[in-house]
Amino acid sequence: MRASAVSITKSIIRFFVKHYTKLISLAAFLVLWQLVITVFGIKEFIIPSPLATFSTLFVPDIAQRYNWLLHIRTTISEVLISFVVTAATGVFVALLMTWSRALRRVITPVLTLLNSLPKIAFAPLFLIWFGYGVVPNVIIAVLIAFFPVVINTATGLNAVEEDLLDLVHYLHASKLQVFLKIRIPNSLPYIFSGFKISTTLCVVGAIVGEFVASARGLGYLLKDAQAMIDSPPMFASLILVSVFGLSLFGAISILERVAMPWQVRDEVS
Amino acid sequence: MLRPLQQEPRGLLKTLRKHSPSVFVVLAILLVWQAAVSIFSIPEYVLPSPITSLGHLFIRQTDAFYNWKVQIGTTVSEVLISFAVTAAAGIILAILIAWSQWLRNLIMPFFIFVNSLPLIAIAPIILLWFGYGLFTNILIAFLVSFFPVIINTTTGLSEVDDDLIDLVRYLKASKWQIFIKIRIPNSLPYIFSGLKIASTMCVVGAIVGEFVASDRGLGYIIINSQFTMDTPPIFAALIVVSLLGVALFAVVSLAERIVMPWHQVETMAV
Repeated sequence: MRASAVSITKSIIRFFVKHYTKLISLAAFLVLWQLVITVFGIKEFIIPSPLATFSTLFVPDIAQRYNWLLHIRTTISEVLISFVVTAATGVFVALLMTWSRALRRVITPVLTLLNSLPKIAFAPLFLIWFGYGVVPNVIIAVLIAFFPVVINTATGLNAVEEDLLDLVHYLHASKLQVFLKIRIPNSLPYIFSGFKISTTLCVVGAIVGEFVASARGLGYLLKDAQAMIDSPPMFASLILVSVFGLSLFGAISILERVAMPWQVRDEVS
Repeated sequence: MLRPLQQEPRGLLKTLRKHSPSVFVVLAILLVWQAAVSIFSIPEYVLPSPITSLGHLFIRQTDAFYNWKVQIGTTVSEVLISFAVTAAAGIILAILIAWSQWLRNLIMPFFIFVNSLPLIAIAPIILLWFGYGLFTNILIAFLVSFFPVIINTTTGLSEVDDDLIDLVRYLKASKWQIFIKIRIPNSLPYIFSGLKIASTMCVVGAIVGEFVASDRGLGYIIINSQFTMDTPPIFAALIVVSLLGVALFAVVSLAERIVMPWHQVETMAV
């Protein structure tokens, strides 16, 4: 028990030591924000102060007005479900496209066409078809987050050294072996960069779905609070939405490091 | 004199051949869609046939009701203005940032961070600040499409072959000359890939702005018809929106080919 407590404290300290510049600039930003609001007397409905924003989240009397737990839970589950569906179907379709030339011939033009459409504009259609709730929002999120995963994975599966393929052909490797031992490991960096792009897009899809029509979720809260010109919960929702996006992004980065410990990561994506 | 004449149709044929699968897919989808609706007699509010949807745009009666010219004009001008502002602001600011390494190191991480946020969620706040109208939707479209352009352009201006820079420094090239002769040509592919992303994002931004609050535009038609379960105008508007996105993308691709004839473009760029 004590050992684990010590190691937790240690890792917390290590986190602070490692990220202290970022934490300091975040704190400075919040202080500056508060000062500007107070000094210039900016009205709350234009830009709320950080104190007003965070008190909508943490002061129980105010927070209970907004039913945060319900909205947060709705949006998080939409984002997570849509991300899992996107990741699974995206990689699967890319594998199909690379496995069979005939399928690639059929799928590629469809993908190119769909990829160039402003898919988010189709959101109201899914609401008509599926009624409102979690399902249409998940579908919208999947629809816009799906293509980066497919395109990245397919690129990675095909970006294999020709010499390596020649060599294993020579050694009578089966198609399955080529996939398992060469193409899939080779595609991992591409897959993860596709996943990272799609994390933001899943959040965007879920939020826009909630804008268009829903009775819960942070997108709903944003739009509802806008109608009431109640800006502190809007800013609080924006912060929460950003934190979701960034945490999902962070989780994928950790997963990436676990899946490919050999990969020297460069941080520009 | 003969040469250009010969090359023209050859280039045209090449373009046709390259895009024929997509054209074929579009036609196939339209055919299957029309056939499915007729054969299974799908009710119009679930899925109107392409003929009904497209007809909606051209029948005078519905036109009087929906005023398609105003709606299309509104969305097209939002998209075009926001795209022009995004392209100009993104490229000019990127040149300023890339001019100083210090500034670049300071600002770029911030831009990359902001770009990874779900920016479209800010739309209701922009509406709160500026009320609804053309300007608000242009601003939303600008906000969601600006960062890909500035990040790409700055990257393109900075990712130059170090040896090349060393060589021209040795030849006493000025910073200005390095910019004009090396950095800017080097950044062109990056700029165009940023502009291609922005071409879709501007449409998305304008439409989402119209979804959140507006009194005209194709997004307004889509969201309003959703309330009344009136599906044909939704499809008509979606077809126009899609054409708008594809057309802007195609114009950027065409400009890319004219500006950089030496550069071969991959077809499946994100």
